[in-house]
Amino acid sequence: MLISRKWLSQYMDISDLSITEIADRITAAGLEVEGIEKMSEGTHLTIGEVLSCEDHPDSDHLHVCQVNLGDRAEQIVCGAPNVAAGQRVIVAQVGAKLPGGEIKAGVIRGQASNGMICSLAELGVDPHSLSEESKNGIEVLPHDAPIGHKDPLAYLGLDDEILDVGLTPNRNDCMAAWAMAMETGAILNREVKLPQCKGAAMQKGNPTELQVASESDKCPLFMGKVINHVTIKESPKWMKELLAAAGVKSINNVVDISNIVMLETGQPMHFYDKDALPSLEITVKDHMKTTYTALDGVTYEIEPEDIMITNQGKPIGIAGIMGGNDSKIEDTTKAIVLEAAIFHHVSIRNTARRLNLNTDASVRYQKGIEPLATYKAMDRAVALLLEYADASGLEDTVIIGSNHYEPISITVNLPRINHLLGTDFSMPEVLDVLQRLSLEPVQNEQNITLTIPSYRQDLRIEADIAEELIRIIGYDRLNATLPTMPATMGALDARQQLRRRFRQVLSDNGYQEAITYTLVSDQMIEDAVMALPDPIHLAAPMSEDRKTVRTGILPSLLGSIAYNQNRSVKDIALFEISNVYGNNQMEEHLAIAISGSLQKSRWQGIDVPADFYAMKGMLELLCERVGFSGKRLTWKVNSKEVMFHPYQSAALYLGKELLAILGTIHPAAAKRYGVSNVVMAEINLEVLLKNKAAKVKYQLMSKYPAVNQDLAFVVAEDVKVGDIMACIERHGKLEKENIIQQIEVFDVYTGEHMEKGFKSIALSVCFQSSVKTLSEKEIMQMRETILTSLKEEVGAKLRS
Amino acid sequence: MKTMENLSTIRKEAVEKIKACKDNGALNQLRILYLGKKGPIQEVMKTMKDLSKEERPAFGAKINEIKQELSALIEDRRTLLAEKEMAEQMEQEKLDITLSGFVPNVGNLHPLTIVQQELEDLFVGLGYSVAEGPEVECDLYNFERANIPKDHPARDMQDTFFINVEELLRTHTTAVQMRQLEKYHEEGKELIKVICPGKVYRRDDDDATHSHQFMQCEGLVIGKDIQLSDLKGTLDFMAKKMFGESRVIRFRPSYFQFTEPSVEVDVSCHICGGKGCSVCKGTGWIEILGAGMVHPNVLEMAGYDPNVVSGFAFGVGIERVAMLKYGIDDIRNFYTNDLRFLKMFNRFE
Repeated sequence: MLISRKWLSQYMDISDLSITEIADRITAAGLEVEGIEKMSEGTHLTIGEVLSCEDHPDSDHLHVCQVNLGDRAEQIVCGAPNVAAGQRVIVAQVGAKLPGGEIKAGVIRGQASNGMICSLAELGVDPHSLSEESKNGIEVLPHDAPIGHKDPLAYLGLDDEILDVGLTPNRNDCMAAWAMAMETGAILNREVKLPQCKGAAMQKGNPTELQVASESDKCPLFMGKVINHVTIKESPKWMKELLAAAGVKSINNVVDISNIVMLETGQPMHFYDKDALPSLEITVKDHMKTTYTALDGVTYEIEPEDIMITNQGKPIGIAGIMGGNDSKIEDTTKAIVLEAAIFHHVSIRNTARRLNLNTDASVRYQKGIEPLATYKAMDRAVALLLEYADASGLEDTVIIGSNHYEPISITVNLPRINHLLGTDFSMPEVLDVLQRLSLEPVQNEQNITLTIPSYRQDLRIEADIAEELIRIIGYDRLNATLPTMPATMGALDARQQLRRRFRQVLSDNGYQEAITYTLVSDQMIEDAVMALPDPIHLAAPMSEDRKTVRTGILPSLLGSIAYNQNRSVKDIALFEISNVYGNNQMEEHLAIAISGSLQKSRWQGIDVPADFYAMKGMLELLCERVGFSGKRLTWKVNSKEVMFHPYQSAALYLGKELLAILGTIHPAAAKRYGVSNVVMAEINLEVLLKNKAAKVKYQLMSKYPAVNQDLAFVVAEDVKVGDIMACIERHGKLEKENIIQQIEVFDVYTGEHMEKGFKSIALSVCFQSSVKTLSEKEIMQMRETILTSLKEEVGAKLRS
Repeated sequence: MKTMENLSTIRKEAVEKIKACKDNGALNQLRILYLGKKGPIQEVMKTMKDLSKEERPAFGAKINEIKQELSALIEDRRTLLAEKEMAEQMEQEKLDITLSGFVPNVGNLHPLTIVQQELEDLFVGLGYSVAEGPEVECDLYNFERANIPKDHPARDMQDTFFINVEELLRTHTTAVQMRQLEKYHEEGKELIKVICPGKVYRRDDDDATHSHQFMQCEGLVIGKDIQLSDLKGTLDFMAKKMFGESRVIRFRPSYFQFTEPSVEVDVSCHICGGKGCSVCKGTGWIEILGAGMVHPNVLEMAGYDPNVVSGFAFGVGIERVAMLKYGIDDIRNFYTNDLRFLKMFNRFE
């Protein structure tokens, strides 16, 4: 909200404080001053009289003026088209500091110029608040402006300083200048005097013909009043200045009064031209379905939820938002009808939002109006109309409904407050602050009973009062302590540890962690791997790209791969750990996507390709590092997931549960995502978390030598190396001891020199016993056994 | 004594040949020649019989002496030649040490993860647990329990991604706090120390300072005598750990539905040390988080008696901390996953 020095000065003396001091103290008390604006700026200004104005001999638009400054005359060259002899003007003398810079004595095309005749814009006045005349030239002052006056800005009422105060939602009461004044007074410890006009509207008037009714349950209180005679004229200077400081345009005294009252009390008012109303029957209605052309000339679609002010069944205003053109106050208005009402804030919010009509009134209704504001506003409006609009012929005020307001009283306990805060506030200082806040404290030993003013609806409980105290006394009184409580053991749980371990293993091995958005497009939902069923859609998404909660991570990672590949980055290894969601279901997944090389040193000829086997190995490593290995893991061919190359994809099972799917991206999917050469995997971490991990186990290391045997043989092309290795494992037993330590594949070959449909496999098998040195004979026997088994089980032929 | 003279000549000749010897093969031949069964020394030995009985022992001793000397010389020479050969071999193996080393390609954690883990570690060290909750949340925990009833204007502050009337994407990790409060109360515990990191969502258009998805880390401490000053001490500790030991914090009054009193917390600027700079907009202070004492309504809704327990809560934006810590100027960088950006965070700090 905007509040200015002039506004505050009406109610308290702040002449000893600079605007920045005031701003700092208000901010420190919780009402954050977000900006300080001066209405105008300039030093060394004076009011001058243009004695003569002649065309510059050497210019087609400049004028050479002799200007009387009171104590002397100066020659000033002026370029404004509207300058003329006899005018009273604002002169910036040599040395003046203006928003645009300093004024220096100079010579303009051969003519001396000692100063500048100013426009208001040159003095920093907001051009939006200026008339066309004022915008286009120097400011011409009234003929009686005092020549030599040293403060022309004050003379014009443009010397105000405005604070832009950001209000937290609990302090919307401060939208009203009176409440803001009370608050400022409490903060600055100043006595505050608000205008006294209580009861002005309740004075007995003539019996009224005005009839008000409400057919809506969204209008708890409606006050109406007829004033049969007003004089429309220009507003007094103070009113115009206050409106300007609040950013409201002055129109005429009656309209300005309605605005001033709203600014002061927070209660929007609407004044109707009585003679323009079809009748004196005003009805508040909803459930209308119609169109309505409001004050701004725009025709709005009215829905049944909107509250309307009607007359003879026809709308005369959108309640709490905007009035109509037909009954607005004109220069010719003679009599008026005043309206001050409460409308339900949610309804106003919905209507204002739908119609995109955020007016001063609708904003105030939405933020909440203090319960007594309606009465205060009617009183204040009547008082001002009497004083500034020659109001007469007042009729009785019509009131329907009620504000249902009961003053609140609460009792707080100082030791409890000190305990909550960890402070040592004394009773006298606490009473002083509560007094300043107009809470009318009454002490009873350590208890204090408070009466809450109507505008402080945010004060309900002791904690609220604790906050009032510390924010006014100051947070610098608060010590820094640590909680005194029994020791607790802080630790990460299994899930958090797993996540950290995977991040560590992956990043140590060259994989970069990514974080992508949770909300994705429908296409990405369709492409999700290991996806949860029943995706969750937003009710009102902001775009097609972000409309559904993702059910898997990989499509998002593909987006990141595409982004980097588009920037000519070839070698990419990304991973992300994130929750994924389906209806009533949540899982934590790990996704990995790689492309190019994982490790590379070209001059050394090192290149670890980011291929299927790199991904498979990484998954094995991840599982191994967290206690899942050996026979618990099985790999199965996967040809179902459409995102993968049907012949380069596998599913990894832990026991019988699907743990991960990995593989090369399907060429069609690669095209869709604009990526190339991607191998990817999605892992369901829940499977690992559900299953028991193997622990580190010490095993005796064999004292006996290990022997390597190379085996090379030919098998049919469709024989799987995994089956060959399993066969060797099965038969690698000597006296019931498994003596196969390791099987390493060192060559797989098809092509030239190979019979079609066959491939050659070369393995190195390591034998080692933990009980004896293997004899040459035993080794040869073992070799024979293995080869025979391979021949029988997979049709292997030893290569000659 | 011609024989003795012969012997001297042979010795002299042998020493010269050994010293001049250039390879192992030649050295072996010299050994055979002088120390073997046929050679000049053996020849001289044959003349020993011509010597007198008195002369013989001295002559024999002399021959042995020469043989030992030559044998030692040959071995020395052999060692020398081996060393020389090794040196030559090594010289041939010379490397250009200016060629690039093989730097293993390693990855690193995302900057948001780095900050999140730092916060987790800091608070785990203080005895806090790390609690998580669903991002698809119900209205109850996101709003109702946080003292933000339906139709409350405060809901205007949180532009929410609703899924249906009851479900939404959580707008703050306060929802996790509310679940924790309920859980601890159900377990009959009156002591809570948790932090709740996680993703949250607001209906914002993405730009340099706004993101429809971002991360928060909230903290919650409940106990019998928890005071506002304890919040200050705790956050002071956190600010020093995150931004440096010389940092100080200040509280400013603020408003949140779920805390009363509520404060905004500023930390003295880590760039200028409080003198004023572009990062702190000349104020010397940077706003880093919101906090306060848990609102009695919130405690009550979770089943606690606010007359028995009290507590504090705080919430920090992880992106905000990361942006301040690293000087990042555009929040979208965190979600674009440009490798040039991600790899900047590859140092242990």
